Amino acid sequence: MKKRTMETSLAGHSPGLVRSIERRLFLKQGLSLGALALLSGCDPTDDEGVQSLLKGMSRWNDRAQGWLFNPNKLAPEYPESAITKPFPFNAFYSEEEVTLVDGKDYKLELEGLIREKKPWTLPELYGLPQTSQITRHICVEGWSAIGKWSGVRFSDFLARVGADTSAKYIGFTCADDYYTSIDMATALHPQTLLTFRFADQVLPPKYGFPMKLRIPTKLGFKNPKHIMSMFVSNEFPGGYWEDQGYNWFSGS
Amino acid sequence: MKPLEIAALATFLAAGAGASAADAPGKPMKMDEPMHGEMKKESMKKGDVKKAAKKKEREMKPMIEKEAAGSTKK
Repeated sequence: MKKRTMETSLAGHSPGLVRSIERRLFLKQGLSLGALALLSGCDPTDDEGVQSLLKGMSRWNDRAQGWLFNPNKLAPEYPESAITKPFPFNAFYSEEEVTLVDGKDYKLELEGLIREKKPWTLPELYGLPQTSQITRHICVEGWSAIGKWSGVRFSDFLARVGADTSAKYIGFTCADDYYTSIDMATALHPQTLLTFRFADQVLPPKYGFPMKLRIPTKLGFKNPKHIMSMFVSNEFPGGYWEDQGYNWFSGS
Repeated sequence: MKPLEIAALATFLAAGAGASAADAPGKPMKMDEPMHGEMKKESMKKGDVKKAAKKKEREMKPMIEKEAAGSTKK
């Protein structure tokens, strides 16, 4: 018996019909592949090629968000009566495992494209002009809470240390090993604060003592706590959650 | 100080100490335990962050230093 291949069975039909059938076959085969992957417990997204493609799309998404970012648009601010009490604690560890940083010995380290790399002690940082904001912290997990943070405008700090603000990125490393990075436009946004106080008190350990970067235009995981060092660079630094596939820009 | 005041002070101090010990931060992180929060994948452990941070530092530090050295030469 003659074996019927796709070519022989479709011979003589119009090219439009052939294309239509090929599309249907492609979809069916795609669905079969998906079902097979589910049955076998195999995650197609574990494949290196798929990962690379998804990362490329995510970086393109970051660039699009960067273009759309309006550096003059302010996040909403709220009255004291709107503050969420108690403000939620959130981290990849429990509250009792919060890292304790010794404020007496603390020095903020500066690296990369920064002219004055002298480390900063807490009294020096507390001595800078301070401002306060009551803004909404929005978590990627789906909850939000309003809090009051006080500190120095990050743009003022960057100007004071002679950071190259034409560079693309600022990276942060934290006492709890967490790390992340942000774009320069967001760093220079007027509401981006290097904060030392929460609810008019010295930043408690669970909220990031001695220092938290507060960015009301970005999701919570882009707001590093317990900051120990920062660097300015044109090399893409990524971040812990961002390297796991979360969107790097994650802002408005 | 009257006995009643001493007792009240003792009760206050004991209650305060108890409350702070219950949720006091600073305990060593249990690195082999699963991560907290909703962002993680099921298999992620708390210690994964430290490992990733060290790897990232190894990758980034030479590039940042080279970049900074290049900018000072200009």
